Amino acid sequence: MRGIAAAGAYVPRFRLTTDELAEAWGTSHASGIERKAVPAADEDALTMAVEAAERALSSDAVDRDDLTLAAVATTTTPAEEGELLPRLARALDLPRSVATATVGGHTAAGAEALSRALDAEGPALVVAADCPAGEPAEGDHPLGAGAAAFVVDDDAPATVTGTAWYTEETPGVRFRERGGEEVASLDVTTYQRNAIREAVTEAVSSLPVDPADADAASVHQPDGRFPYRATADLPVSNGAVAAGTVVDRIGDAGAATVPLGLLAALDADDTGSDEGDAESAGTSIAAFFGGGTAAAVAVGGGLAVEGIDDLEDGTTIDYASYLRERGYVVSGDVAGGGAHVSLPNWRRSLDQRYRLVAGVCPECGGVSFPPEGACQSCHSRIEFEEFEAPRTGTVRALTVIGQGGAPPEFAELQQRDGAYAVAIVELEAAAGRVRLPAQVTDADPADVDVGDEVRATVRRIYEQEGVPRYGVKFEPIESE
Amino acid sequence: MRDVYVLGAGQSSFGSFPEETYLTLFDDAFDAALDSVDGEFDPGEIEEAYLGTLGVGGRQIGLSGPAVTEHLGLHGVPTTRVENACAASGFAFRQAVTAVKSGVVDVALAGGYEVMTDASSDHTRWWLGVSGETEWERTSGTTFAGVYAQMASAHMDEYGTTAEDLSRVAVKNHANGAKNPKAHLGFECSLEDAVSAPSVADPLNLYHCCPTTDGASAAIVVSEEVAREASDAAVQVAGAGAASGRVGLFQRESLTSVPASVTAGESAYEQAGIAPDDLDFAEVHDCFAIAELLAYEDLGFCERGEAGRLLREGVTDPDGELPVNTSGGLKSKGHPIGATGTGQIVEAFKQLRGEAYVQVDDPKYGLTHNVGGSGGGVTVHVLERGEFA
Repeated sequence: MRGIAAAGAYVPRFRLTTDELAEAWGTSHASGIERKAVPAADEDALTMAVEAAERALSSDAVDRDDLTLAAVATTTTPAEEGELLPRLARALDLPRSVATATVGGHTAAGAEALSRALDAEGPALVVAADCPAGEPAEGDHPLGAGAAAFVVDDDAPATVTGTAWYTEETPGVRFRERGGEEVASLDVTTYQRNAIREAVTEAVSSLPVDPADADAASVHQPDGRFPYRATADLPVSNGAVAAGTVVDRIGDAGAATVPLGLLAALDADDTGSDEGDAESAGTSIAAFFGGGTAAAVAVGGGLAVEGIDDLEDGTTIDYASYLRERGYVVSGDVAGGGAHVSLPNWRRSLDQRYRLVAGVCPECGGVSFPPEGACQSCHSRIEFEEFEAPRTGTVRALTVIGQGGAPPEFAELQQRDGAYAVAIVELEAAAGRVRLPAQVTDADPADVDVGDEVRATVRRIYEQEGVPRYGVKFEPIESE
Repeated sequence: MRDVYVLGAGQSSFGSFPEETYLTLFDDAFDAALDSVDGEFDPGEIEEAYLGTLGVGGRQIGLSGPAVTEHLGLHGVPTTRVENACAASGFAFRQAVTAVKSGVVDVALAGGYEVMTDASSDHTRWWLGVSGETEWERTSGTTFAGVYAQMASAHMDEYGTTAEDLSRVAVKNHANGAKNPKAHLGFECSLEDAVSAPSVADPLNLYHCCPTTDGASAAIVVSEEVAREASDAAVQVAGAGAASGRVGLFQRESLTSVPASVTAGESAYEQAGIAPDDLDFAEVHDCFAIAELLAYEDLGFCERGEAGRLLREGVTDPDGELPVNTSGGLKSKGHPIGATGTGQIVEAFKQLRGEAYVQVDDPKYGLTHNVGGSGGGVTVHVLERGEFA
C-alpha cells in the first residue's frame, strides 16, 4: 500500500499574537488562535514550498532523482498565471521529466494533490504551501502561513488506509473574486457551519476506519474552535481533534493548515520503528474542506517530520511590523530602474542561485564561483568540473544596508523587512572554498557577525517588470 | 622609450554644481591646467586626448570625449573616452603617458569629468551601484558602500581595526581639505563627529564615505623636449603602474587587500627605481575610509594590519613621515568619479612644484593611487620633481 515515506514542515519565523492584533483593532476575529505565523517580505507560497520540500527530501528514505510526480497545493500562487512548479522543480533539482500538478482555488487543494500522488507510480512529492491575505480590519485576522511536504511511496512507514470525498454546492463560504488578493466570506454563520459539518461528517464516515479509533484528527480549521464544531456529529474525541489542530499556533494557513495538522499527528505517532508496524501504530485522520468539497484521508502509523518544531518556535513582532512584512502598507513599485541582469542571464545562473553549483579547475584544483570564465586561482582558461557546494557555511565579511540605503530594486524589501545584512559567505566544500555574496535573512542584522554559521534558503530576491526572481539567501544557524 | 613629463595640471572646483555641465566643468579644469604652465604653451600643440568618465546619470553615453574637446576648441584632436569607473581618469592619464612615452605624440591631454548631483535621489542611487559586480554583488542587495563595508568588517575581524581607526581618516583628510579652496567638503571634523555619525552601511558611517561630487580635472602630458622648452619646473612621470582585478570582491583571494593595488604599486616603484620609503607624500583613493587603510598596506607604507597604527601615530599627517591626501582626498576634496584620477595628479603636480595648499617640505617623490570600483582596475603613478638645469 502507498503511504507517506518522508515529510517536512515549514512555518515562517515571525509570529503575531492575537493579543497584539486585538490591541491594534480594539477587537479580534481570530477565535481560538493564540498567535499566527507571518511570512517575511521575501517569502511566498513558492519559497515556503521549497523549504518544506527540502526538509522532506533530506530524509534517507527518498532520492529526489527518482521522483515521478511533483504536486503543489496553494491558494496563493505568486502570480495568478505563470510558473510555480517549474520553479519549485528547478530549485529542488528534480528530474526534468517529473510530472507536475498545481492545485488551487480552495482550501481542500491539498487533498487533490495528495490524491494525485496516491494514484501515481513511484515516489511522488506533494507540497501544500499557503499564505492567504484578507481585508486587514477583519478578514485578515485569523490568516497565517506555512507549508507541509509529503513524499508518497509504496511500503511507507505511514500507510494511507483510505480516502473519501463528499462534494456539494456551498456558495459564499470562502471565496476570492477574480483579480482579488483578499479572501472573503459572507459569514452566514449557521448555514456555513452546518454545511461544512455535514460535508466533513459524510466524508469521514465513508473512510474504511472507525473515526472513534482515531488518535488524531486534523480537521478543517479556519479558527481554533471550528474543528470541534465540524466533528460534533462524528465519534471523534476532543483529544484527537486537539492532536491534529495547529491553527492555534500558526493561524489559518489556507490549503496548508490541515496538511500541517496531519504532519503534527504523524510526528506524534512516530514510534521510531521502520515500516511494517502500521497495524500496531495509531490512526490519524485528515478532514479537508474547501469550495464545497470535503475530503477525508486516513493514515496508519507515523513518522518523524523534519521541521515540525517550527510550529512551536517563532519570533514575535508588533502589528506595524506585521503590516509591513505582509506588504499591506507598502507599494510594490520600484522607482528609478533596477539592476540590469536580464531574465535570460538570470535563468542561465539558476544552478548557482538554487543549488550553489561551483567549479573546480582541472589544472590547479582551485575553486571558482560562478564556474565561468578563467579559473579564479590560476587564471587558466579551462572547463570547470562542476559540483554542488554544501548549503551551510560561514560569514566572512558583512555589512548592514540601513533603511533608505538600498539599491532601488531592494527598496520595497527594505521598506517591508527593515535593514538587512549582506554577507560574503564561505562554503567549505571537499574541493575547496566557495565564496559568494548573499543576503542574510530571518535575522536581526545587528545580531549577525563575521564568523557566524549560516544555512542556505531559497527566497524572493527582487521583482522586476512583474517577474519575481528567486535565489539563495542565508539564514543563521541557531546556536544551541 | 622616452621620459614623460606633466607640463600643467588643474581642476575645476569640486562640489555640487547642478547647473553646470560636464562641458563647462571641463572648461574650468582645462583653463586651470593651462594657467599652471609656467612657460609658453599653445593648446594647439595638443595632438591626442584621453578623457575619463563613468557617465553617471546616463548623459551623453556615447562620444562624450569628442564633445568635450570640440567644446574646448581642440577641433579635430583625436579623443578617446576612457571608462574604468572611479579609475577612469587614472587610466586616461596612463594612456596619455603611454602615447608620449612611445613617441606616437609629443603632447597629449588627459582628464576626466563627472556630474553627479543634478539627478533625483532614486536616479542617482541606480547609477551609484553600476560599478559593483552586477550579477551577484548587486543582486545580493549591496550598495557600493556596502562592498567596502564588507572589506572593513573583514579587516576589523582579522586585524582588530576599529571604527576609531576609520574615523581618523576623515579627521585627517577634512583637516587638509579645509585648507583647499577647491574642495567639496572644505570643513574640519572632530574624531567625535566622525565616530558618531549616522550609519551608511555598517560598519561604515557617513564620515567614512566620500560625497558624490561634480567636477573635472586635466593634465597636459608632454615629452622631455617639449617640457624643457615650455617650463623650468615640469614634473616627471617616473613610474606608471596599473593592474586589473576581479570586479567582484567575493571573487578575490583576499577580502582585506586589493590585489590590483599591490601589482600596480610594485610596477610603479620598479619603473621609478624607488621604494615606498623614498616617497615624500601620496594621494591615495579614499572613497571609503577603509580604502585608505587598505592602500597603506597594499602600497607598502606599512605591514599588513598596521594601517590603523599609522593613523593613530600621525605618520600620514601633513607633518608626519609620509603625508597622505594633503588635498583632502576623496573624502573632503570630493569624488567626481571620472575626474578623480587626474585630480590626484593635480595635487601631486602642485606639491612637487611647492604650490600646494597644504605643502609638504621640499618633496622629491609623490605617488597617486586611483581605484576603479572595489578594485577591478587600479593605476599607481610615481611623480618626481623635474630637475632641468
